[in-house]
Amino acid sequence: MSYISFAVLTLVYMELSMRVVTAPICAYGQAGCHAPSLADLFERVIQQSSRMHGISSDLHSELEQYFFPRKNVLGKHKCHTYGILTPDDKENAQRLGREQLTDVILSLLAAWSDPLSQLHRSMSQDQNQNFNDHSYSKALEISDMVHELREGVAIMAEKMKLLGVLGNTMGYISPESLVPSSAFTFYKQGELNSVDHHDLLYCFRRDSNKVKNYLQILKCTILPGLDC
Amino acid sequence: MMKKAVELVLLLLLLFFTPHIMGKRYSPPGKPTLTRCRSPEKETFTCWWEPGSDGGLPTTHALYYRKESSERVYECPDYHTAGENSCFFNKNDTSIWVNYNITVVATNTLGSAFSDPVDVDVVYIVKPNPPEKQTVTIMEDKGWPFLRVSWEPPQKADTRSGWITLIYELRVKLEEENEWEMHLAGHQKTFNIFSLRSGGKYLVEVRCKPDHGFWSEWSSTSYIKVPDYFHREKSVWILLTIFSAFIFLILTWLLHMNSRSLKNCILPPVPGPKIKGFDNQLLKNGKSDEIFSALMVSNFPPTTSSNYEDLLVEYLEVYVPVEQELMQEESKDLHGGCLKCERSTSDSDSGRGSCDSHTLLMDKCGETKEEGRHTDRASSRMLTEAQRHQKGWEKDTLTYAHGDMVSPDMSNGRVKTWPSVFSPLPQYSSNPLDKQSSLEMAKQHCLSTSSCLTQPGHSTKEALGPSNWDFCLGNKQPHLLHPQTQVGRQLQAHSEVNISNIGRKQAPAGLQSPALRSTEYVEVQRVNEEDLVLLQPVVSGCGRIEGYPQMPKGKDYSKVKGVDSDNMLLLQREVMEEDWCPGVDQEINGGTGNCYTSSTVNTTQKPTACIHTAMPVQGDMALAMNGYVDTATMCTLPTC
Repeated sequence: MSYISFAVLTLVYMELSMRVVTAPICAYGQAGCHAPSLADLFERVIQQSSRMHGISSDLHSELEQYFFPRKNVLGKHKCHTYGILTPDDKENAQRLGREQLTDVILSLLAAWSDPLSQLHRSMSQDQNQNFNDHSYSKALEISDMVHELREGVAIMAEKMKLLGVLGNTMGYISPESLVPSSAFTFYKQGELNSVDHHDLLYCFRRDSNKVKNYLQILKCTILPGLDC
Repeated sequence: MMKKAVELVLLLLLLFFTPHIMGKRYSPPGKPTLTRCRSPEKETFTCWWEPGSDGGLPTTHALYYRKESSERVYECPDYHTAGENSCFFNKNDTSIWVNYNITVVATNTLGSAFSDPVDVDVVYIVKPNPPEKQTVTIMEDKGWPFLRVSWEPPQKADTRSGWITLIYELRVKLEEENEWEMHLAGHQKTFNIFSLRSGGKYLVEVRCKPDHGFWSEWSSTSYIKVPDYFHREKSVWILLTIFSAFIFLILTWLLHMNSRSLKNCILPPVPGPKIKGFDNQLLKNGKSDEIFSALMVSNFPPTTSSNYEDLLVEYLEVYVPVEQELMQEESKDLHGGCLKCERSTSDSDSGRGSCDSHTLLMDKCGETKEEGRHTDRASSRMLTEAQRHQKGWEKDTLTYAHGDMVSPDMSNGRVKTWPSVFSPLPQYSSNPLDKQSSLEMAKQHCLSTSSCLTQPGHSTKEALGPSNWDFCLGNKQPHLLHPQTQVGRQLQAHSEVNISNIGRKQAPAGLQSPALRSTEYVEVQRVNEEDLVLLQPVVSGCGRIEGYPQMPKGKDYSKVKGVDSDNMLLLQREVMEEDWCPGVDQEINGGTGNCYTSSTVNTTQKPTACIHTAMPVQGDMALAMNGYVDTATMCTLPTC
C-alpha cells in the first residue's frame, strides 16, 4: 500500500511540475503567440514539400506501372504550368533572386490547387475502378498538402518581408495571371480519363520537385548554416 | 589506254571485293542500346551506350537527343570526355526538369541502326561522388571511448547553395569480421560510434545520396584501432568472480562439515534393532554362535534370582546314555546356558573331550553359559566334539574296559562315573554372595560335565540300560573310568526325580538303591573345553588329579550315600585311605547349607588332616556355592 501511495504521489508531483503548456504559433508574432523562427518555418516548409513530392512520385509510378508500358510521357502535351517561367539550372535559379524565386514558388503552388482537386474527384468517380484505396488517399493528401504548403510559404514570405530579408519589390502575383486560362482545358472539365490522370501526375511530380528545390535554394541563400 | 585503265580498275575492284564476298557476310550494324545516363552533380550528365554487332564493318555511333516539347534534334556535343561509347553533356547543354529524348545511331557502310529512345530527366539520374575528406577519431565519453567519423560532401556536388541536398550513410566493421554494420547519418556530416571492442581494429566507410537519386560509391576505407580499456571494465568482474568463488568455497566447506547432521536432518536414519550387544554384522555373516555369544551379558542369568535351587537341581545331571531326548529335556529346564551342553550331548554323543576338573569347570561354565543361549547349536557343537572324541575314547575305553574294568558296566566300553565330582571353582570360595553365581557356574559346569558324562545313546549303551552313565574321557588322560552302576542309578534317579520335564526312559529304579556299591568310583578331574569331563579315579593322594589315571587301589571315592528328603544327593566318601578328597557334594536343590552339611556329614570318616584342610576349602566352597566340592582343589591342598 505504501508503495502504491508513494507512486501516486510521485506521479501527481511530476504532473504538476512538468506541465506542458501549449502556445499557438502565430506567423506575425502577435502578442501571446509563440512565433516560430524563420529557420523553423523553412524547416517545416521544406519537409512538407519533400513529402508532397514523395507522394506524387509514388502515385505517378503506380499509374505508370499499371497503365503505361510506354516510357514516352506526355507525347506532345505540355504541363499547364508551362507559362510560369522557372529556372532550369542552378545558375539561372541563383540569378533569379530570392524574391522572384519566392514568387515562382507561390505561383506554382497556386496553379496546382484546383487541378489536384479535380484529379481526386476524377479518381474517385472512375468507372473502371483502376485505383486502389492507397491511390485515393494519396490523391487527397497531395491536394490538401498543396493548399497547406501554399499558405505556409505565404506566411514565410511575409515573415521574411517583416524581417527585411525579402524586399518589397515582390508583389503577390496572382497565379491566374501566370497560368493561362486555357490551362484548365488541358485537363478536361468533368471526366478525366486515365491518360489525363497520368499526364497530370507527371506534371505535378515535376513541379513539386521544383518547389522543393527552390525552397532549399531560398533557405540556403537566406539562412546559410549547417545544412547548406 | 582508257580501256585498259578502266579494266584495271574493275579488276582491282573485283579483287578487292571478292574476298569479302566470298569469305564474310557484311551486314548493317546491330542495334545499340543506351545503358545508362548519370549526373554527378545535377549540372552535367553523361550517357553510355552499348554498341551492337558491327556487321563486320567499321561502324560509327552517334547520339541524338531531343528536348521536351521541341522538335529540334541535337547531336551529342562531346563523345570523348566520358570515354568510349559515351556522350557528355556539359552545363550549357544540360537543362534540369526537362525531358531528354535520347537515341543512339550506329552506322556502317551498309546501313545504320537506331537504338530505342530513352527519356531522361536529369533530376532523377543524379549519382553523386563519394564523400570526401573522411576522418575517424577516437574520443572519450566518461571513460568509455567512441569513434567519431566526419566527412565532407563530394566536391562537385553543390550543397552549399542548396542546389543538392545529400543524405549520408556509413558502415563499420571489425577487421576480422565479414558483416558490416550500417548507420544512416541523414543530412549530418559527422557520426559517433559507441560500444567498441577494446583493442579492436575498425574499418569505416561513408556514402551519400541525393533526395531522389542513386547512392554513391563507398568512400575509401578508414582504419582505426581502439586502445585497450579493459582495466575498468574487467577489474570489477574479476573482483566479483573472486568474491563469489570465495563464498562458494566457504559454503561448500560448511556443507561438508555439517554433511552428517544435514543428512540426518534430511534423511533420518532408519531405526534398527536395539538389542544390547546385538551385532547386525555378525548376523549377516551367519555365525549364530557369535551373535548370541555377543548378546550374553555377564549378569545374565541374574544372580539375584532366588531360584538357584532350581538351578542346582538341574545341575545334577547324571545321565543315562541313549536319552538324547532326555538331555534335551533337561536342558530345556535349565535357565542357564549349561542346558545346551546336555542337549548337545544327548544327541548322539556326549560332549567328549578332555575334562579337566580344575579349570575346565570354570571355563566350561563360561562356555556353557554362552552355549546356553543357543538352543541347538551349542549342543550340536558339543555333539560334534563328543562324536569326535567318542571314537577315540571308545577305543580307549574299550581297552580299558577290557583290560581293567571290572564292572560290568564297562563292558560296553563306557565308563560310568560319578558325576557328582565337580570341582568347585576357586572363585566360589571368595564370596558368599557369589553363591548364586557360583552355583550357576557350577551348574553350568555340571551341565557341561554331565554332558560330558552322558553319552548319547548308542546301541551299546542301550544295552547297558538306563542306569549307566558315561564319562567322557579327556584327550590327555584316558582315565579309567570305573563305572558305578549303583551310584549312577542313584544319581540318575535323583535327577529324574528333580527334573520334571525330562522324560526318563530308565526306570527310576535306581532311586531305591542308593546304597549300591559300585565297584569303583571316579572323580571328575576337570571339564575340558570341549565340555568333556575328565575323570580320574580317586586315589590316595589328593594331588593326583592331573596324574595318570591310577588304577583303583581301593582308594576313597565319593559315592552317593543317599538322597535325602530334600532331594539332596548325599555323597559319601568312602574312607579307604588316609587321604581324603572330599567328594563333590551335589545338590539338586539349591540349599546352600545342605551341601555343606551333607558334605561334612558325609565326610566324617575323613582324616582330620584332610578335613582340616579340606574344611576351609569346603567351607569356602560351601559359602561360594551350593554343595559343590572341588575335589581337585581340595586334593591339591598341601595338607592333603
